Amino acid sequence: MTTGAAFLRIEELVRATHRRPGAGYLALVLLSAAAAAFGGWCWALMIRDGMWRTGLNRPVNWGTFITNFVFWVGIAHSGTLISAILLLFRARFRTAVYRVAEAMTVIAVTTAGLFPVIHLGRPWLAYWLFPYPNQRGLWINFRSPLIWDVFAVSTYLIVSTIFLLVGIAPDAAALRVRAGGWRRRFYGFFSFGWRGTGEQWRHYTRAYLFFAAFATPLVVSVHSVVSWDFAVSIVPGWHSTLFPPYFVAGAILSGLAMVLTLLVPMRRLLHLEPLVTPRHLDMLSRLLLLTALVVAYFYAVEYALSLLRGPLPERSTFLDRATGRYAPLFWMMLAANFAGPLLLFSARVRRSPKALFFIALGVNVGMWFERFIIIAGSLSHDRLPFLWRGYAPSWVELGITLGAFGWFFFWFLLFVKLLPSVSIAEMKVQAVEEAPRDA
Amino acid sequence: MHEAGVVGVFSEPGAAARAVGALRAAGGAEVRLAMPGPFTGPSAALGRPRSRLGWVTFLGALAGMAAGIALTVGTSVAWPLVTGGKPIVSLPPFVIVIFELTVLFGSLVNLAALVVAAWRGERRRPFPALDRFRADRIGVFAAGGDPALSERILRDAGAEEVSRVG
Repeated sequence: MTTGAAFLRIEELVRATHRRPGAGYLALVLLSAAAAAFGGWCWALMIRDGMWRTGLNRPVNWGTFITNFVFWVGIAHSGTLISAILLLFRARFRTAVYRVAEAMTVIAVTTAGLFPVIHLGRPWLAYWLFPYPNQRGLWINFRSPLIWDVFAVSTYLIVSTIFLLVGIAPDAAALRVRAGGWRRRFYGFFSFGWRGTGEQWRHYTRAYLFFAAFATPLVVSVHSVVSWDFAVSIVPGWHSTLFPPYFVAGAILSGLAMVLTLLVPMRRLLHLEPLVTPRHLDMLSRLLLLTALVVAYFYAVEYALSLLRGPLPERSTFLDRATGRYAPLFWMMLAANFAGPLLLFSARVRRSPKALFFIALGVNVGMWFERFIIIAGSLSHDRLPFLWRGYAPSWVELGITLGAFGWFFFWFLLFVKLLPSVSIAEMKVQAVEEAPRDA
Repeated sequence: MHEAGVVGVFSEPGAAARAVGALRAAGGAEVRLAMPGPFTGPSAALGRPRSRLGWVTFLGALAGMAAGIALTVGTSVAWPLVTGGKPIVSLPPFVIVIFELTVLFGSLVNLAALVVAAWRGERRRPFPALDRFRADRIGVFAAGGDPALSERILRDAGAEEVSRVG
């Protein structure tokens, strides 16, 4: 196949993902829109009736909403890992999968950003979190970790959106050439006037490298900041210097798992198998295995430090996690986040998309449990035994959680049907690099 | 009316790189490129210096850092409320906000610089008939110079099509 034909084939494969949607796709869109609408209705109930609609009460004042916030921020992490960090490391397997991961990042951060606002109870006062000049001369407290969150998550959303859109521009320009009607105008908008001249590429490649260089420390900072929401307090189970790397590793694990959860069915439904090959899935699953081992190491260190050297309340909290009211969730978490990924040592498992899908799905569930155990498990077993009290999310909280998944999948499904889910320009470069030298 | 010159259409980046090199060696014409991906061969053959976008981005990041310091220190001094017995100007927690604003401003300025540089580059060195060069072919444009010589060089390098414009 000539290089020009290879270029056209890549384009055609991506263009084919934008064909008229089938019944299955439409059903998924409707289902996710319905889930999002149900979540919205639950939130409306909570706004109308107040926080009693939730299961939150002393001592557990942070529950499902903050669990969801940490979970979705974590999901957002692998997008930047795959697109920026692997770019800096020149890992070529990222080319076919990074666009999906980037889109997932932007949508997941948007989803995460909803939860602190939902958790406020009075969402119309959310602007109090931002610094703005006012007649009373009041300013926000920059020593508060919650304010660090506002800056970290907002910056992450803006930078990852820019990174995604800058990457899409040359691909939208390529798709626009053979498109007609509203699609031509749509691609034209997202190509931002891209013309593909040597001068544009000269600046583009440099700028892209800088975006990656900015995004890399950002990805580490964001989840470290999220972990400080907990670590700077004195609650047993939270007050640990281990938290920033522990949270970053957990975030990357959950993000990679979500990429695989999305990619495995997507490559089949959108017929992207020639571009997203078993080799790409294999490399992603190796990364998943590596991060699962790192997270398992943190679990072990956390337990070892608290049980061997920790103060009594700390030991009590960690023993309660493994044997108390949340013990089933704890052991399921270990099975999903550690035992499941161990199967990926087998090349046969790594080559099986079905097995990968279920292992990744298990990690998603396990990571949600992990955040729930850290948050609700620690607060329900604080320093004062007479205050020990369990927490279970109400149906309204569970409805909002379901709604968040619906919201995420709704936007993701729209993305894959409207914008290129594989980087066409970079795939073309890869096609040239992989072509026989005498071609 | 586009400026006069010769456009060569290539399917292989290697052939386009050879054409660019030969046109530059012959002199006379200003060589320009259009391509559907960031192929290193033709870009390197063009011999353009590395984009200086980084300096603008660096200044943007510095401005973000200054804005972060001004915001955290300035507002804390303007409303000096002691929390947790900590100093009014507590640098360690402020570093987080300062870092985030450094990255935010750096990224926004990087984007603005990219847009301006790409637009200016396009205005200074326009390329005729771009559509196919965004999709599956690489275009080499020899602006000015001896058109007959440019045509010969482009054909010798393996151009699929060669045409005069302007």
